[in-house]
Amino acid sequence: MNDKIALAILAVSALAAPAARADSFTIWARSDDAGFMGPVVKAYNKGHADKAKLNIVVASQLVQKFAAAEAAGSAPDALSLDLIYTPAFASAGQLQDLTDWAHTLPYFSHLSPAHIATGMWKGRLYALPFSAEASILVYNKGLFKQAGLDPARPPATWAEVTADAAKIAALGGGKHGYTFSASCGGCMIFTFAPYIWASGGTILSEDGQRVTVDNPATHAAIAMYRDLVAHGGVPADAQSDNGANFIGAFAAGQVGIQGAGAFMIGLLTTKYKSVDFGVAPIPGKDSGQSSFAGGDNIVITRDSKKAALVRDFIAWAYTLDAQRLMAAHGSLPVRLDTASAALDGLDPRYAVPQQAMATGRTPYSVVFNDIINSANGPWVEMVNKAIYSDDPDGAIRDGQAKMQAIIDRARPKG
Amino acid sequence: MSATTQAAYAAARPGASARPRRGRRTQWLGLLFVLPALGFAGLFFLLPLAMTFWMSLHDWPLLGAHSFIGLANYAAMLHDAGFWHAMGFTLEYTAIVTVALFAVAFPMALYVEHPRPGIGLLRTAYFMPAVVGLASGSLLWVWLINDESGLVSAAAQRLGLATEPLSILSHYWPAFLAIVLMVVWKMAGFTMMLLLPGLQAIPGELHEAARIDGTSGVQRFRHITLPLLRRTLAMTLVLSVTGSILAFDQFYIISTGGPQNRTITAVYWIVNTSFVSFRMGYGAALSIVLMMILLGVNLIQMALLRTREGE
Repeated sequence: MNDKIALAILAVSALAAPAARADSFTIWARSDDAGFMGPVVKAYNKGHADKAKLNIVVASQLVQKFAAAEAAGSAPDALSLDLIYTPAFASAGQLQDLTDWAHTLPYFSHLSPAHIATGMWKGRLYALPFSAEASILVYNKGLFKQAGLDPARPPATWAEVTADAAKIAALGGGKHGYTFSASCGGCMIFTFAPYIWASGGTILSEDGQRVTVDNPATHAAIAMYRDLVAHGGVPADAQSDNGANFIGAFAAGQVGIQGAGAFMIGLLTTKYKSVDFGVAPIPGKDSGQSSFAGGDNIVITRDSKKAALVRDFIAWAYTLDAQRLMAAHGSLPVRLDTASAALDGLDPRYAVPQQAMATGRTPYSVVFNDIINSANGPWVEMVNKAIYSDDPDGAIRDGQAKMQAIIDRARPKG
Repeated sequence: MSATTQAAYAAARPGASARPRRGRRTQWLGLLFVLPALGFAGLFFLLPLAMTFWMSLHDWPLLGAHSFIGLANYAAMLHDAGFWHAMGFTLEYTAIVTVALFAVAFPMALYVEHPRPGIGLLRTAYFMPAVVGLASGSLLWVWLINDESGLVSAAAQRLGLATEPLSILSHYWPAFLAIVLMVVWKMAGFTMMLLLPGLQAIPGELHEAARIDGTSGVQRFRHITLPLLRRTLAMTLVLSVTGSILAFDQFYIISTGGPQNRTITAVYWIVNTSFVSFRMGYGAALSIVLMMILLGVNLIQMALLRTREGE
């Protein structure tokens, strides 16, 4: 009898064992990612015994909340982290080294190079690509037609950008040829810096230690923007716009051309269907193109004991099904070898930002937030002054010095 | 002042009557009563203050380990042009907004001082903006002065004062004055409510006696209202100056520190230092220095008003 009871207990234990082994990990993501993070985590949890517990954090507070949680010993296991913050987190020793595991992934060489580059710190890899965004031009085909321009032929040089904008501005009736948000650091690095890169200029050195923004391409790009302000019908509030009106005027059909991102395709096709628009790469002065490769890296935090679970989640996120799911909910695919398949069936205009993302750039700096992203940082102050003051050359010189001073201050002593 | 007015004035002066001596027991009882308040102040002010000071002695990044650096943060401050520029701007804002606030609130308080039909409604109307939160009020004004959809720009164009949309936030003085105007709109009623009890505490006989002596309205205001209102004015001024030196929300929301970083206040600079540059230790040092500056300004204010009172 005792043997039977023992056998029964063993059988029940064996049946219960798989359920007992199921585990969970916590992942935080910024609020900008809520559109795809929810469906992605839901899909993962549906097909796996181990579960991901998602916490969406207000984008502007993610770093502060993480720091508080880390100090309290309750940091999440993983973060979907705006890729520009990756060097700062890695240099502060907050992340686990993913180098060895990442190189075992058969498709590692096909992952977004800009994301991988921002995930590096002292020769080791601390982050992997998770979601992607890329800057492009969007243009209003209806206004192009009204201005006598060919809607199938978006501007491919700076001269064409300024000429097309001037023609659209000449329509009058509150129509603007071009717009931007000159008091928004993030917006200007996303939409203005590609003009510089596409024309041979740079903002920072590869290692992020030297500011190189005072170069001929920057001066020329500023001159183009000054020309747009003078003749391209740029809205008056572009100078003071901190990003709050970044898409408003274009979505209202009042703007001919503007720098934006892949997100604009989803936004316009779902919420502003009356706007007939096209997309194009951000052009160089006479030829070429460039883009800011944005989005998120996924990282495993320093003290996490659930690294294996997170790695399983990351590997799943690179499957075609997951990449398709993310693309359908607003993120460009980060795995370039399956990108076309992941975008299959979606709006064909996504092909433009996808190609732009594959070759796009992301400046590398442990103080990116301080020098570029901040609404009061030297990058946006420089761009704003250079476009709107009487001394653009002085503004660029001053901006370079201020950015360099911040980098020098942050450099480890000794 | 004539004998009539002086006699009435002497009787009305605060502290004119002799204070009863308090025994030791009453003092202990008093201490017992304030003990809970002292406990709260200790827990929520003194302790965080001590922690802030401790933090200010460290290189304390938002992410990563911190290390003790003594007074290096305070030394670095001497070369921080950005902070001193922000401090200068803050003092300029404080001076302008305080004068503007009193210039509006004082006449309002005088106007609603005496009861008459409908005065309650008027007082409520004047006070109403004070109940709106500073952030909500700032957002309201962001819309009001928006060049494309705001009321101000549209009204200016309708009235023929402008031919194109007004971009108020693109230029320093329009942006600065818009914020000053918002604060005056929001806080004048509150300041009026602070001044009102002081005005009402001035005995009517004083004004009546002075009137009999043949004084003008300006003379009565100069020699009766202002001197007897000094304590109320001191408190109101301290509150106004303190609030202005600590200004942040309205600049963060309305101008985002622009145009070209020209409307960054001291607190705004500290927030950026701590949470944008991730330099918590240096931000703590700036906070300590700002508190000392604020304390100094308040002490000077109190000393000046006390001296004048003793004259």
